[in-house]
This record gives sequence, structure tokens and C-alpha cells, in this order.
Amino acid sequence: MSEQIDIGVLSESFNEFLSAEWPREKAVAYPRSNAPYAADLWSEISALGWPALSVSEAMGGLGMGTQATAALHEALGYAAAPLPLLGTMLAVALVEAAGSDVQKEVLLSGLADGSTRACVSQPPDTPLNVDGQTLNGTVANVLDAPSASILLLRADRAGHVVWLAIPADAQGVSIERALLADTTRSIGSVTLKNVSLDSVHILVPKNPIALENELLRLAAIALAADALGGGNAVLVATIEYLKVREQFGRVIGSFQALKHRVADHKAALEAARGLVEFAAGMEGGTPHALLAALTAKQHVTRIAAEVARDCIQLHGGVGFTSEYVPHIYLKRAKLNEALFGTRSVLLDRIADMLEAA
Amino acid sequence: MSRTYDILGKVGNEQAFRQEMRDWLAEKAPKNWRQIWQNVRDSALKAEVVKWLTERRAVGLGTPHWPKEWGGPGLPFAYQIMVYEEFSRADAPELEMFGISLFHTPATLFEHGTQAQKDKYLTGITEGTDIWCQGFSEPGAGSDLASLRTSAVLQGDHYVINGQKIWSSGAYHADYCLLLARTDANVARKHDGISYFIMDMKTPGIEVRPINQITGEAHFAEIFMDDVKIPVANLIGAEGNGWNIAQSTLSTERGLLIFGEVERLARSFQLDGQDARDNWMRDVQFRREYAALYGELQSVRLMIKKLLIELEANPDKASPTLPTYIKVTWGPFLQRYTEFLLRAEGLQTQKWQPAIPGTSHSSRLRINDFLNSYGWTIAGGSNEIMRNIISERILGLPKG
Ligand SMILES: Cc1cc2nc3c(=O)[nH]c(=O)nc-3n(C[C@H](O)[C@H](O)[C@H](O)COP(=O)(O)OP(=O)(O)OC[C@H]3O[C@@H](n4cnc5c(N)ncnc54)[C@H](O)[C@@H]3O)c2cc1C
Repeated sequence: MSEQIDIGVLSESFNEFLSAEWPREKAVAYPRSNAPYAADLWSEISALGWPALSVSEAMGGLGMGTQATAALHEALGYAAAPLPLLGTMLAVALVEAAGSDVQKEVLLSGLADGSTRACVSQPPDTPLNVDGQTLNGTVANVLDAPSASILLLRADRAGHVVWLAIPADAQGVSIERALLADTTRSIGSVTLKNVSLDSVHILVPKNPIALENELLRLAAIALAADALGGGNAVLVATIEYLKVREQFGRVIGSFQALKHRVADHKAALEAARGLVEFAAGMEGGTPHALLAALTAKQHVTRIAAEVARDCIQLHGGVGFTSEYVPHIYLKRAKLNEALFGTRSVLLDRIADMLEAA
Repeated sequence: MSRTYDILGKVGNEQAFRQEMRDWLAEKAPKNWRQIWQNVRDSALKAEVVKWLTERRAVGLGTPHWPKEWGGPGLPFAYQIMVYEEFSRADAPELEMFGISLFHTPATLFEHGTQAQKDKYLTGITEGTDIWCQGFSEPGAGSDLASLRTSAVLQGDHYVINGQKIWSSGAYHADYCLLLARTDANVARKHDGISYFIMDMKTPGIEVRPINQITGEAHFAEIFMDDVKIPVANLIGAEGNGWNIAQSTLSTERGLLIFGEVERLARSFQLDGQDARDNWMRDVQFRREYAALYGELQSVRLMIKKLLIELEANPDKASPTLPTYIKVTWGPFLQRYTEFLLRAEGLQTQKWQPAIPGTSHSSRLRINDFLNSYGWTIAGGSNEIMRNIISERILGLPKG
């Protein structure tokens, strides 16, 4: 099935749907809702099968790889869509890699049809400690936790890494949401108090380090793609504005000082696209694939954040209001930079890999 | 044990002056004000600010930079500087919402106001709690301010105002507005038909609509004026001279006003580095970046001090170009520094909290300070306009 779907066509369908269902007016109005995610939009994209994109065909999904998920996340970034798809996509990869047949059966169908939303703890979390039948502890800063119905948390069991799949409504689980500047996503701290643990909750990866690297790779590609989409969207909105706003008797887009900046941003984003495409086109499981993904993440999220920062400046006073879109993209871009490893953390890993190669 | 403080009596002895200020601040500066102010807005916030203003007035420091004849302490410049240094050293709050009242209004009226205007309106600031706003920008006239279209038509003993202002900081709570309006639309140079008025915000025909900002606050607002009557006595200076007077208003943004802000930032800059001792200060890249930013901060502080010294020696001979260099250096520096902190401190900085009034750009809520930095890069002449001024007016490059 995966070979039959053209990535370009797929990408177009994502963008078309979101531009119709999540236009700028909705993106601008959404922060006032204070919701952890856009529930109606989630239902619609679930009906379209988006959460099933990376679920294997054997488990009833579309079995698509990182090129498809990158296209999806680029579209999400372009629309600044408040959809917790990153957590869900990582959960799918985790369950596919580490789940038993039963666990796959139980978890993947709900993830694929969108009836379950998931979150996955991100490094550098402190793993929970599993020794017995009950679970206690706190995992801070979990992306998508406030909207999740299932929580995937890293744990240590007698010196071995395992993953726990805990229902968000299980007895003893509480999730405290922290408000973010980026209102299109949500983050929360998960606290577990005497949560009773059953073997069905525990996923045992064969190679935990390889799994962690793969999750990091997938998150890095998704965030880089999201940043690329957001950077292009905010630039497009800014160019539109520069073409209509007049000062000193001419459109401000005719001032060379502004034109050149926009031209630089465009070139930087085109260059950034190559890194995303290259990383997304690789098979996982090799150091090269991880290197490409981390390189894309650190570079593209940085570029997009700088583009968005300048786009507020290019808008002048209206850029400082919440009625125009640039701030939505700036805040999302800033969060993309910080999620799943800041740039410094990733640069250190990249340098290690380069040195070892 | 409370004692009486005689700060002004120590002028002449710098060390004693500072010590007296420090003792007074230790006792009288608001305690825990960050937590308290963070959770109040509007009239409750005004009440908090007025409490602090009242304390300052009790020792003659309500308006520290004002001359004696208008109700200020008439401090020599060196002492004005010390006052602002000590305020920021003690982390005493700013008189939030009184910014225009304390700086822009006096900068305008000292030079151009009539005796009656000075008596009435300056007293309302030194003895009352009048809040002022500035109504310059319009939807169609931002960087190109001179193209403003709000009209003022003389009818007997008053002008009738029609039009719209935008981005007016504090307008929602303001008692008065420094208003630019066009009294003559048929002039060769559009700058020439502009006049400057004092507008009482309670006049019928005024509607104020707050605008939500990217920081989650609504500090600025639109002002709609529909047949608003302003008495002729509220015209500042001559009819048609508004553009020149507006330059006095704006010049204040590039002097002591920046100085207070920069000193406040200098204090939080130092704390930022110290608090990061076991954190990003151990990362060689951030450590060096921070050290380099220190150099930039110092360069801004030194430029401002130089300007203040020149102003004190002779206001007419002070460098006309330095204020532009200060503004174009300070705004971008502030943005880069606040952005640096987001990178250095990572995910934690992305969490959202209500802003803390009274902290200007040094609330140390990272994302708020970063977003607020646009106030200095866009407002009061954007970075781009400052660069045009430097390249065209100072360096003589052709317009275009
Ligand atoms: C926080 C804040 C507080 C403010 N408070 C007040 C207030 O109290 N009272 C008040 O009257 N106004 C206030 N303003 C308005 C402010 O002065 C204007 O926003 C500013 O003058 C820019 O005008 P504009 O918003 O119309 O942008 P525009 O003039 O439309 O500018 C849009 C972009 O074009 C650029 N640009 C414009 N002309 C040129 C050129 N010739 N060459 C190169 N680039 C150019 C600008 O730099 C900017 O990047 C405030 C603004 C902010 C952000």
C-alpha cells in the first residue's frame, strides 16, 4: 500500500484540508479557548485516517514511513494546527517496536482510529522505578500529556529500561498541565501515586537504546518538518502584508531593506528543506539516519524561529497584536527549538557522531 | 523602627546621598511586589502603584528628574542618575502606567506649554495621579507619522476632532492624551499642517478599545474620536507646529527613560549569570556568549551616560546623533539578550505566566521579556526607521 501513495499528493491533501478547516482566522482565535487541543479538528483528521499513517499495515494502518510523517508534520506546522499528533506517532513507533502481540492488538487500533491519544516521555526524563505491583513518581514536561488518554513513560526495572503504557484515567494518575506560550500544543507533568501495575502495562524493548534513538530520530524529523512548515507560513503571511501595507506613499514591500530580509529568509528556508527531505528519506536504525535527523532538527528549528522573529518586526505594530498570525508561529517555533533536546544538546550529540565517524 | 529620611538634604555628598536612599529603600520600597503586582490589573494595580508613588513623594522623589519650578526636586544630573541606579539596585518597581505622565508629558510641556497648561497639568502629575497616554500613531500613519489624518477644525473657542488613533499605550486608563491632529490638510509639506493638543479622555465622543498583544496583555488601545471638542486653551504651542513639538516628546524616549530601563536590565543581567552558575554558565558556548553580551550591554550604558553628561553640561550642545545610536543599539541588544536566555534555559522558558507590571523589560519571566522586547524595536521609531535616519540624515546617503 505504501508504495501506491505519492508523497506529493499526500502532502497536498494535508495542506488542502487544513487550509480549509484551520484557516488563519481560526488559528488566531484558538488561543482564547485555552483547550489542550482542538477536539473537533482531531475527530475530523481521525476520520481521514491521519493517526493511522505510520501504523503498520498488519495492524490496520497505512504503513507509511518518515517521508509521509514529515509531510504531515510540515502541514501541521504550516497551519499551526493544535493537534497532538507527535505524541501519538511516537507511541505508535514505540508499541510497534516493543509491544507484545497482545499489547499491539490492544493499543494500536485505538491509536490508529484516533480514539486514543498518546504522549511519550521525552529525554532527559528521569525514568520511573518499577519494583513491585505499584508505581510512584513524577515525570515532568511531557508533551501532549494533557490531551492524552494513554501515557507512555520510560521506566527502570532492575537495571533494564522498560516502557509503561498507563491509561490516563487509571486510579492514582494525575496530570498537571503547564500553560505554554505556544497555545497550539500542551505539556504536563504526570504524577503517579500507588498506581497498580499489571504486566499488560509493561513494554519490554529488545534493544532499548536503539529504540530511544529511533524515537528521537522520529521526533527530530517531525519537529524539523513542523518548523519548516511554520517558517514558510509566517513568511508567506508577511510577504502578503508587505505587498499591501503602505507608508510614505508606497507599499513597504518596495523598500529594499525589507525585500532583502525576506529574500534571505526564503533562501534559508529553501536550504532548510533539503535537510528535512534528506533526513526523512533515510531508513531508520543507522547512525547516519540519526545524524541526519538531529542535524535537520537543530538547524531548521533555529532558522524557522529566526524567520518568525523577524516577521513580527516586518509587520510593525500589527505584529505585536494577537490579532495577526506571526506571534502564533513565533511561539510555536520557539517551542520546536526547545522540544526533544535543545540545540546545544543536539549539537553535542552531532559532534560526538562526527568525531566517531 | 521608622525614622525620617532626608535624601534631598544629602545632595552635595554622593556617598551620603546613596546611603540615605539605600536605607530608605530598604524600609519603604514595596516588599514582595512582584508576586502581588503579577496578580492585579487595572484599578487594583493603580492602587498598588500609587502606594509606591506616595512613598516616593514623601521623600521628594515622585518625579526625580523634574526641575524645582514644576514640582520636582531639581536634582543635578549626576544625582538623577544615582536615583535611577539605586532604584534598580534595590529592585524597586517602576511606576507602571505613569510612564507617559512622568516622561513624555513634561518633556512636551516644559518646553512648549503655556503657564496655565503647566500649572494645571504638571500639578496633576506631581500632586495627583493623572495618567496620560500618547495619541500619535494611526492605522495609516505609523512609521510615516506625518501622514496622519485625524482632523482638528477650529470652531469658535474649541477644536472639533474626528479620526482614529491606534497603539496608544495606557489609553484605556488614561485621564489625558497627548494628541496630534491635522489642522491644515492643504500644506505643501505634510509635516506642516499638524497641531498638538491636550485631550481630556472624559470628553464626550471618545471611545477607547483595548488591543490584545502577543504578551497576553492589552496595554495599548485604539482611540476613536467622533466630534470631540477640545478647548483652544488646550492647543500646545502654535497651530501647525505640532510636528516639531512631537520631537520633544519623542526625545525623552532616548534619554533618561532608556537609562532607567537599562540599569534595571543591568541588574537582572548580573543575576541571570549568577543564578546560572550551576547551569548554563558551565556551558562554554553560553558562557562566552553571555560574556560577549556583557560587552554590548556596557556599550549601551556608556553611550547613555555620555549623553546624560552632555545634556547636563549644555542641553543645546548635546550630540544630536547619539540618541539615535542609543535606540538602534538598545532595542536589538535587548531582543538578542532575552532570546539568548530562551536558548540557554530551554524548555522551562516556554511556560506561560502572567506578566509582572513594574518590571519594564526585566521581569525575568523569559518569554514575556523576549516578546516585550519588540516594544523597543518597533515603537517610537522602528529599527528600520532609525537606520534610515542614520544613513540618510547623519551619513548623507541618498534617500530611496
Ligand atoms: C509596544 C508598543 C507600544 C506603542 N505605544 C504607542 C503609543 O503609546 N502611542 C502611539 O502613538 N504609538 C505607539 N506605538 C506605535 C508605534 O509607534 C508604531 O507601531 C511604529 O511607529 C511603527 O508603525 P506601524 O506599526 O504602522 O508599522 P509600519 O510603519 O507599517 O511598519 C511596518 C514595517 O515596515 C518598516 N518600514 C516602514 N517604513 C519603512 C522605510 N521607509 N524603510 C524601511 N522600512 C520601513 C517598519 O520598520 C516595519 O518593519 C506603539 C507600538 C508598540 C509596538
